[in-house]
Amino acid sequence: MLRRATTLFIQNRGVNQLVKPLVNIKWTRPEAIPAYKPERSGDLEGLPQIPSNSLGKEYSLCEEIKDAPESVKTIFSIEHLGKKEYNVLVKKELTDRVRRHEYDERTAETRIAKLTGHIRCLQDTMEKFPRNAKAKQTVQELIDKRKKLLKYLRQYDYKKFEWLLEKLNIEYKAHPETYHKLTRKESLRKLTEMHCDSIRQSKLSDYRNLLESQQGPFLTQKLDALKFIRSEQTELQLPITVTEQDIKKVEDQLKEWKIKDELKEQAKKKKRNILLD
Amino acid sequence: MSRHISDAAKKFLLLGQCVPTVKQNATKIRVKRLELDENLLMYFRKDDFYYCHDPEKKCKSGDIVLIQALPRNLTKLITHEVKEVVYPFGDITDPVTGKKVAKERYREDIEREAEIYGKLPSGFDYKKAPPRGWQDGKKDFTSKPTYTKFHVFDENDPYAV
Repeated sequence: MLRRATTLFIQNRGVNQLVKPLVNIKWTRPEAIPAYKPERSGDLEGLPQIPSNSLGKEYSLCEEIKDAPESVKTIFSIEHLGKKEYNVLVKKELTDRVRRHEYDERTAETRIAKLTGHIRCLQDTMEKFPRNAKAKQTVQELIDKRKKLLKYLRQYDYKKFEWLLEKLNIEYKAHPETYHKLTRKESLRKLTEMHCDSIRQSKLSDYRNLLESQQGPFLTQKLDALKFIRSEQTELQLPITVTEQDIKKVEDQLKEWKIKDELKEQAKKKKRNILLD
Repeated sequence: MSRHISDAAKKFLLLGQCVPTVKQNATKIRVKRLELDENLLMYFRKDDFYYCHDPEKKCKSGDIVLIQALPRNLTKLITHEVKEVVYPFGDITDPVTGKKVAKERYREDIEREAEIYGKLPSGFDYKKAPPRGWQDGKKDFTSKPTYTKFHVFDENDPYAV
């Protein structure tokens, strides 16, 4: 009999918990974004605008091509030369934004700019061919490399680091303390903690509002009482214990409270109007 | 042992590095120490973290600062105050010559090199550069600690990785 009762009880408890959770929290697992995507890598812009009839990098230096007929120019344009030559132009465009002098190739800013150009080209490739494993690996390595270079640049030249972020349109986020796989338990714990915090805060603010609302009536009462005591003392020619300064102080407090109260009421009205709209 | 250290720490100035924190009215300072392992007779690194009172926001993350214990704890957490920023992060001055340095070279040498090669307007100019912090919260997210994204909120937090 007892055993049956206990089993029933335990079953019921389990069912109750399933039906009625203690805290009403809904958790949605964030969608996994591949690391090569711009929102993860921190690239805020895509490939630069390069017209399709612009010449390849090496050919544009050539003297003969300047007065060549249109048909020759189209043959040596990136439209015909292919993606590889286009990528070279992308890298050139980005390095030109930060170049110190004409022969600047190995400084931190040009290296980062070049990597950025390469990354953006490969991101474009990944958009078109998401199963390109080689490109995926390369772009990941390049992103990590760039992050490392940015980290070092931040350490030895903060001003340049900030300027570079602005010029190349990159976001920099520091590494978190640990990289770990997200678990349900951890997320629920954090959400519960946030829920408890919000409850605590709302209770505290409610209590504060209650106390503040009682301040005004109390101050008026105090003012009346003080004035009464002072008048009585002067009438009966007793030693005066309530100075005029005390009364003024209370008056000032009451004024301050009234201003605050008005502001609060206005905010309340605004909220109500917004809700009604 | 630890009590001994804490007593000593109250009297002296401590040198530490500012680390990112979510606290708005305090800064978190990491003080590196060495602790003796009595079994191995070897010293191991031990980090202590102090929350410091810093109403003017003197120090930013990464700065090396001097801190001192307050006569009375301001809150349960805040026990120290920031005295002085000794080395600002990423803005290094050579102590011998007093010139500014980027990595192992003087900045003026780098400028000179660029001038000899033919300076381009696209290059970085230290004189025009605003002080540190103008990208904070826009493109540079280092003032607060980042964490693994654990939930889909209405507002997207940039510090969630």
